[in-house]
Amino acid sequence: MKTAIAQYYPADSALHRLDPRAKVVAVSALAIALFTRDSFAALAVYGGAALAGLLLSHVPPAWFWRGLRPLLWLVALTFVAQLLFAPGEAFFSLGPLHLTWQGLETAAFLTLRLVVLVVAGSLLTLTTTPIALTDGLAWLARPLRRLRVPTEELALMMTIALRFIPTLLVEIETIMRAQSARGAEFGRGGLVRRARALVPLLVPLFVVSFRRADELALAMEARCYRPGIVRTRLHPLRAGVDDWVLLALVAGVIVLASVV
Amino acid sequence: MEASGRVAAGLEVVCEGLAFAYDEGGRRVPAVRDVGFSVAAGASVALLGPTGSGKSTLLQLLRGLLTPDAGRVVLGGAVPSDEDYGARQREVGLVFQTPELQLFAATAADDVAFGPRQLGRPPDEVAADVARALELVGLPEASFARRHPYSLSGGEQRRLALAGVLAMRPRLLLLDEPFVSLDPAGRRDLAVVLERLKGEGSGIVLATHDVDQAWALCDERLVLAGGELVASGPWAFDDDSGARVLREHRLEVPFLVELWRRLGRPAGAAPKTAAAAAEALA
Repeated sequence: MKTAIAQYYPADSALHRLDPRAKVVAVSALAIALFTRDSFAALAVYGGAALAGLLLSHVPPAWFWRGLRPLLWLVALTFVAQLLFAPGEAFFSLGPLHLTWQGLETAAFLTLRLVVLVVAGSLLTLTTTPIALTDGLAWLARPLRRLRVPTEELALMMTIALRFIPTLLVEIETIMRAQSARGAEFGRGGLVRRARALVPLLVPLFVVSFRRADELALAMEARCYRPGIVRTRLHPLRAGVDDWVLLALVAGVIVLASVV
Repeated sequence: MEASGRVAAGLEVVCEGLAFAYDEGGRRVPAVRDVGFSVAAGASVALLGPTGSGKSTLLQLLRGLLTPDAGRVVLGGAVPSDEDYGARQREVGLVFQTPELQLFAATAADDVAFGPRQLGRPPDEVAADVARALELVGLPEASFARRHPYSLSGGEQRRLALAGVLAMRPRLLLLDEPFVSLDPAGRRDLAVVLERLKGEGSGIVLATHDVDQAWALCDERLVLAGGELVASGPWAFDDDSGARVLREHRLEVPFLVELWRRLGRPAGAAPKTAAAAAEALA
């Protein structure tokens, strides 16, 4: 099953090996900086950086396209809105519609900026496993612990939730098959009938999930899990030279974009 | 077929060159390869094989929940292109592994009624099916019909799930590891039910790696290993071949068969139950 969330492309590229914290910081910095300059030259610099990342990542470009596809409507809408409502001298008019060069320019700029943003964001999720991403975010959120935000617990919840997505998908498929063997029909008929047909699927799914959650909680307690305690890690996050190089490169890109 | 919902006469199954592979992230993982066999109407057959040998996949292919990549399942002479093939498929009852996890209704009777209702049977016929099915699995309607499924014991829940399939009046019953995770009393109660169904002429395919239960209940066996059928037909304990094929594939020889062999008696004629063994030895 291919979903847009948490898509990870397994490969062994330089980007895959980087510390998730460095990647989160780098991509966040780029995404923010992207919106601070409104020139095509700066956009070209960021676009070049994103393209370099894409080539470094060993991820087939089609995977980036998959991330862009859901945004097509947003892009189209932005483009049309800018095209139609931007001020300036019209070079083409049709009734109330006026196309201006300025509008065309702004539309192209905003669209390209969105594309660069999505590619940069995809670089992070495509080269980082959801678990590593959670670990990285948990580390970066550590200052919030002073405000009594249970960051460790939230990160663990995220990790467990991610871990159980494939399990639940298998569970859903099994229950659906079992109920079809008893004559259940899913996705047929009107809305009410469809909703009613979900009962034989959802009730067992909830029962199984709650039972499993209960067992997991007990098993974790049996293995001495206690909330509120900072745990050590089997694979501690270690920033290496590569990670600092990445951050330096990103800083360089941002500086370059602000002078061009 | 009687409206009272007695177990109907068996259904012959012929598998021809069945093959199936799961699609796992773009990779084809074969689960069943070129499997061919036939099960006579009303026969009781054990489907043996170690974990991951393709037993569950084969059962789902027989019921038509999975579509084979190659080959076909002929049900009572009907081939997949026949008009009445769907009706034949609905006469195959499949009890999934740990089927009690699929209970969902508020009362035992309601859960059992789900199948017959989905088949569009009239209410009085459904009521008769439910009563009959509950009776068959040893959960008499008078004391169990109004109970909440999750208030029953583990063994009772499993038999209730079985009743849900029996209420559809299958002519062939496919059971996927029905004894797993039941306590001894639960196993015994279920074995009694299966014996009764067999006695009433229902065909049974029992997928399990519990060879003792299989030996007690089944007249023939199919042995699957790595998705391939490595043995079919009668148990073949007259010579060493039947025992060898089991041991070679992470299975055991049934206790009573092994006992007979060690006693120097003909293992092929080993008794099916402890009672029969005691009688023979007395």
